[in-house]
Amino acid sequence: MRFLSIYRIIGNARALLFCAPLFFLVEPSLADEAGDNFFDEQVAPLLAARCAECHHEEEPEAELNLLSEATARKGGENGPALVPGDPGKSLLWKRVAADEMPPEDPLDDEEKQILKKWIASGASWGTDPVDRFRYTTDKRAGYDWWALQPLGQPEIPSPRRGRRIRNPIDAFVLSRLEESNLSFSEDADPRTLVRRAYLDFHGLPPTPEEIEQFVADPSELAYQQLLTRLLDSPRYGERWGRHWLDVVRFGESDGFERNNPRKDFWHYRDWVIEALNADMPYNEFVRMQVAGDVIKPNTAEGFAAVGFLVAAVHNTVVGGSEMMKRQSRADEIEELVGAIGQTFVGLTVNCARCHAHKFDPISQDEYYQLSAAVAGLNHGTREIQQPGQREELLELQAKEKDVASRIAGIRATIREQIIEKRKSIKTPAIELPEPLASWEFEEDFKDSIGNLDGKPQGGARLENGALVLDGKDDYVITAPIAREITEKTLTALVQLDNLDQRGGGVISLQTTGGGIFDAIVFGEGEPRHWMAGSNVFSRTQPFQGTEEKEASSRPVHFAIVYRKDGTITGYRDGQLYGKSYKTGSQPFAAGGGSLLFGLRHMPPGSNRFLAGRVLQAQLFDHALDEEAVAAVSGDPRNYVAEKEIVAFLKGEEQASYLMLKEQQQKLADEIIAASQAARFVIYTNVPRSPAETYFLNRGKVMDRGELVGPGTIQAIAGLPGDLGLAMDAGDGERRLALADWLTNEKNSLSMRVMVNRIWHYHFGSGIVDTPSDFGFNGSRPTHPGLLEWLSGQFIDSAYSLKALHRLIASSTAYRQSSHFHARAAEIDAGNALLWRKNPYRAEGEVVRDSILSVSGQLNLASGGPGFEDVKIEPNKGTTYYRPFDTEDPNLNRRTVYRFSPRGERMALLDVFDCPDPSSAAPRRSPTTTPLQALSLLNNAFVLRMADHLAVGVKKDVGEEQVEQQVDRVFKLILGRLAEKDEREPAIRLVQQHGLALLARTLFNTNEFLAIP
Amino acid sequence: MSQQVHRREFCQWNLQGLGSIAILDLLRRDGLLGQEGTGAGGLHYPPRVKRAIQICLVGGMSHIDSYDYKPELSKQQGKSLPAAVKPDIFFGKVGLLRGSDWEFRQRGESGLWVSEMFPEIAKRADMLTVIRSMVSDSANHTPALFVSNSGFQANGFPSLGSWLSFGLGSETESLPAYVVLPDARGGPNGGASNWSSGFLPSEHQAVILRGGDQPVRDLFPATPISELAEQESLSLLRQLNAKHLARSGQDQQLLARIRSYELAGRMQLSVPEVSDYSAEPEKVREEYGLHDPVTEDMGRRCLLGRRLLERGVRFLQLFSGGPIAGSPRASWDAHESVKDNHTLEAGRIDRPVAALLNDLQKRGMLEDTLVLFTTEFGRTPFAQSDADKVGPGRDHNRYGFSCWMAGGGLRPGSVFGETDEVGWKAVKDPVSWNDFHATIMHLFGVDHRKLTFYHNGIQRRLTNVAGDVVKGILA
Repeated sequence: MRFLSIYRIIGNARALLFCAPLFFLVEPSLADEAGDNFFDEQVAPLLAARCAECHHEEEPEAELNLLSEATARKGGENGPALVPGDPGKSLLWKRVAADEMPPEDPLDDEEKQILKKWIASGASWGTDPVDRFRYTTDKRAGYDWWALQPLGQPEIPSPRRGRRIRNPIDAFVLSRLEESNLSFSEDADPRTLVRRAYLDFHGLPPTPEEIEQFVADPSELAYQQLLTRLLDSPRYGERWGRHWLDVVRFGESDGFERNNPRKDFWHYRDWVIEALNADMPYNEFVRMQVAGDVIKPNTAEGFAAVGFLVAAVHNTVVGGSEMMKRQSRADEIEELVGAIGQTFVGLTVNCARCHAHKFDPISQDEYYQLSAAVAGLNHGTREIQQPGQREELLELQAKEKDVASRIAGIRATIREQIIEKRKSIKTPAIELPEPLASWEFEEDFKDSIGNLDGKPQGGARLENGALVLDGKDDYVITAPIAREITEKTLTALVQLDNLDQRGGGVISLQTTGGGIFDAIVFGEGEPRHWMAGSNVFSRTQPFQGTEEKEASSRPVHFAIVYRKDGTITGYRDGQLYGKSYKTGSQPFAAGGGSLLFGLRHMPPGSNRFLAGRVLQAQLFDHALDEEAVAAVSGDPRNYVAEKEIVAFLKGEEQASYLMLKEQQQKLADEIIAASQAARFVIYTNVPRSPAETYFLNRGKVMDRGELVGPGTIQAIAGLPGDLGLAMDAGDGERRLALADWLTNEKNSLSMRVMVNRIWHYHFGSGIVDTPSDFGFNGSRPTHPGLLEWLSGQFIDSAYSLKALHRLIASSTAYRQSSHFHARAAEIDAGNALLWRKNPYRAEGEVVRDSILSVSGQLNLASGGPGFEDVKIEPNKGTTYYRPFDTEDPNLNRRTVYRFSPRGERMALLDVFDCPDPSSAAPRRSPTTTPLQALSLLNNAFVLRMADHLAVGVKKDVGEEQVEQQVDRVFKLILGRLAEKDEREPAIRLVQQHGLALLARTLFNTNEFLAIP
Repeated sequence: MSQQVHRREFCQWNLQGLGSIAILDLLRRDGLLGQEGTGAGGLHYPPRVKRAIQICLVGGMSHIDSYDYKPELSKQQGKSLPAAVKPDIFFGKVGLLRGSDWEFRQRGESGLWVSEMFPEIAKRADMLTVIRSMVSDSANHTPALFVSNSGFQANGFPSLGSWLSFGLGSETESLPAYVVLPDARGGPNGGASNWSSGFLPSEHQAVILRGGDQPVRDLFPATPISELAEQESLSLLRQLNAKHLARSGQDQQLLARIRSYELAGRMQLSVPEVSDYSAEPEKVREEYGLHDPVTEDMGRRCLLGRRLLERGVRFLQLFSGGPIAGSPRASWDAHESVKDNHTLEAGRIDRPVAALLNDLQKRGMLEDTLVLFTTEFGRTPFAQSDADKVGPGRDHNRYGFSCWMAGGGLRPGSVFGETDEVGWKAVKDPVSWNDFHATIMHLFGVDHRKLTFYHNGIQRRLTNVAGDVVKGILA
């Protein structure tokens, strides 16, 4: 039985506190009379454990719910279940006594006695209703589950052989060993230890010089200095970043049918590596991955960090029907809920999508609350300037602004004079705000103020001072905007061909290609209504304005004002249109945006075209207030065309004005060029406003229950799962609250899970050997006290991962030999108790990087776009990734910098168990297969590296010096000299077949492949 | 023995190094097979088959034009689908009903209806067990293909072949347990994800067998190494490993790795041998269609398939169809014209598959081999065209379609399940992919509920939380 095995493994009385189901050890009371707490202590756990799988409140089997007093007394479809005082007449007892219930797994005698005694003594009820999550049973975890409890403060044990203790880790480990009559192995020799440390911390072997340095002085001080060097090196982040990428299912293509590459997703990988190298406190590391774009808005760092949210596969071919769309969305949200639960708190929350979690105390409601917390999820890209280049750009922008303001000054004066001069004295000229660009469509498609001239596409044409659009393929696109747009106002005077069109764009500000846009759109969301269109409706909500009845018979002025705080307001004919609302704001980088008329966004197609006439349109790079909108919506004759101004100016004035305009144009070009050169596109989460989240009955997308607000799980002791959010809270608020919850100091699971991950990678197996599952289905801790103690240390060190590494690596447990001992193995075959250091086979990345390193070919260029060792072949709607091998220093970078799509890859990585990036791999499944042997013997890369190594060694020690060559190759690859009986055949091999063959042979040795 | 200790053992690289055969042996010796939750499972019942070959049609074969005879559909040609609700289909264009473009006839002694689309396979109708009531969770190619392979719509789950490799290992140590032979025109959408071992250990991933000098990746040195050099290199390797083993205290994991080099050597001998079918008689090659450029690709793979099965490969997958989209299509995705497309696709495989059935039977191998003929979904009885037209193409249909099996443990020459009178939805005995997989597992002597692997909080299995063995097709 499961429980007994846990007991055996844990075995010590204090540790039992961590495995919770104490009641299970308690013999049922032998007293005839049931005591006061009899129901709560014995009957309720029994009902919860053995009956509630089916007879619960959600969908009670046979309509019998045994968890509440009223329903239990009422009975089910077969009539009353209980006759108090008379078990013989109680259906419940009869079915149980006949071993019919629970089906296939009848109660044992002790359990039966409890039930019988309860009914016989009157079946009195206790706490009502019985919470089936309250107790841990032999079938599931309850709220009392060990991992859900606050962190314990265990006493540090005092084992007998105390002299092996270097720090408290050893006290915990050794005391467990001694209980099984085992002890630590001797310390590893310095040569082994230094090799272990390098491979473990950097994923690269030490150089012969690094080895000899430590072998010459293996003192404690030297070891601590070694650890400092290892932790300070950028190689540390590359090695441990790779571990994290395994956990978070990092892959660089979409998967599914199209499997398009994600060329702009390396930012997340770099962010992880840099965060680890900088020893970013773990709580911040978590917060940034969940809400970095909210914590550091509009920064490359923020956008990169939340790559976590979109690291998984993403289905881009969803199908046309409502059900297919909902299904696909629900699947994607489940994936993310699963990833958050497993990665940060080691709980498989995703298992509660269709029913309450079968093993852990997580309800279906909580699943949907957590779904609501991340309901803004949206795969997309953001554009941002490279930080380094920002200065130059700012300078150019300042210059441009200066020129623009001088032009504006002249224009304002002249315009005044022109308006003055016009007969106009009827109405005083209104103080009009200055647009960034304006199109009158009188004689051309040009911007009459700046340089955002339009280019007609399709059959777009001008007629009677209006842009005429046929709604089929006509539109106008402008040059890019040289200025960064944060706040803005879009306006247009427009007449529609008909009021039943759905989705045409009047004026749209979009990024190149249309991935991001804000637009005045007609009839898309609701027929005959105006709306603020945006990419995947991320900034779109209904204005709830009046139905449009006039725009087909006369021109209507429509304006949308976008404020920096995310407020969006519509105005029709200068009057507020419906209500304004607040979502996120979307900045458009300098040089990154252009305008469209007659098309909602690029690419052209479907319902995005507008059928009608645009008489005039304007773009403001600021948010107009109500008065200003009213003003610009007035008589367009108040506008003065640019050419009028030029014509008005005379002689020198005109020349200098035109020169200014030219200068502005030049600056604009420079800004665009600079910004395009300096721009990052980052694949990231581009949140949409969270759609309403419904409880789905049995998880079925077409069977909606009640609306669910954002929240998370309740089960962690002392930490409420209510995030304190309103039902309609914005996406940013939701994720920020979730990030806070995940990193709350009371979130004991969060610390335990991360401490255990670190331990897992150092020892090849965790204290809990299911690193992403601390629930009932996961493993129990082998050293519960140690896990608690380390978690406490982790908090005390302000969540420093580097401090944790040092603590672990300083222990005897870590520094002992990995030598195999048959006697110890008889007692503990799996080395769960750590009587030796687990040796393990190097991961595929380490094999590859080590070969590169010892061959002198490793290219340590770090960061940036990954190197591509696959040919990307789009083929009829899907994408193939074909591995190729060629001599190219760029391909000799560390494997963590490999572009890693979901598909084929070089055999060496495949056969050495690099996980498929399609799913999370919190622990790898290492194998030993003939295919590994074949790859390591025959792969073109391996053979080429052997050649390089040979060439390098010969250069170093001399072309004819075979003995020295052999010595050097042994030292490089194995970190030691050949022993006599190894050296002779090695020399013979080199003499007859060349040095490269010796290198290839050594690459294949167990010694080279092991992390000792 | 506790599950805890078990899991530890499986996850150490040492024991896996012995190969899954050794794991099974070990477990059998210790009497640990067949216990609830032991993870690796194994043979739960006496198996009816030992190996399988799957012809995997990519794109969606029209059942109503091939194996599901619907006279009523032809009668109703040009009428609307008699359904109250608008069909939930991929492209949303529902034209009028269209009768089959092929003539159906009853075949052999069984009288099984097979159309003229497959004249050669039709001659072997008495060997077939046709399931006419297949249903799928998805009408979207790649998720549907994934479901048919792994039971799940997303990337990242182990395929049927990987599960069989994990559960049963290979019958031979010198060939991989699971082999894939893709269409010469390209791999299916999703590529290697289709035969991925997902979260199972990587040794259970399919090995792609190709033509040329390196039928398996890295089988031979990428740059030539003389035989003598190779021998002496391996001899030094053995010596170094032996010394290291002694120094490390005779660790089992190191022994396993030493042994893997012996197995690699065997593979170097056996793969070229099996790939070279020049020794096959001329008559056999002709039967498989190797002389005709249309059938050559599938013919070669069917013949190679038989040779691999003979030598103990557990599970073989032959794809018919490459990537989905494009023009002309290189798959069964007949949106434009079923007649044109299926004539071409069926023409490529009919003769080779029929030859494979014949050959297996002649050699007595059909007794304990399973031949699977599957498609990710079927096609609609109505045309994919405007609502008032009978266009020549058909859209995806996940509600009812046909697959067939042949071989050990089945009722040959029989039909299971029914679609409605026009072939739109399965109405009698619907069979899901979970059911289909459960049945295959059953034929291999494996209880699909017991072959599980722990991954991220769940004891995962091929059939997720569903699947019933389709008893109606079993002998």
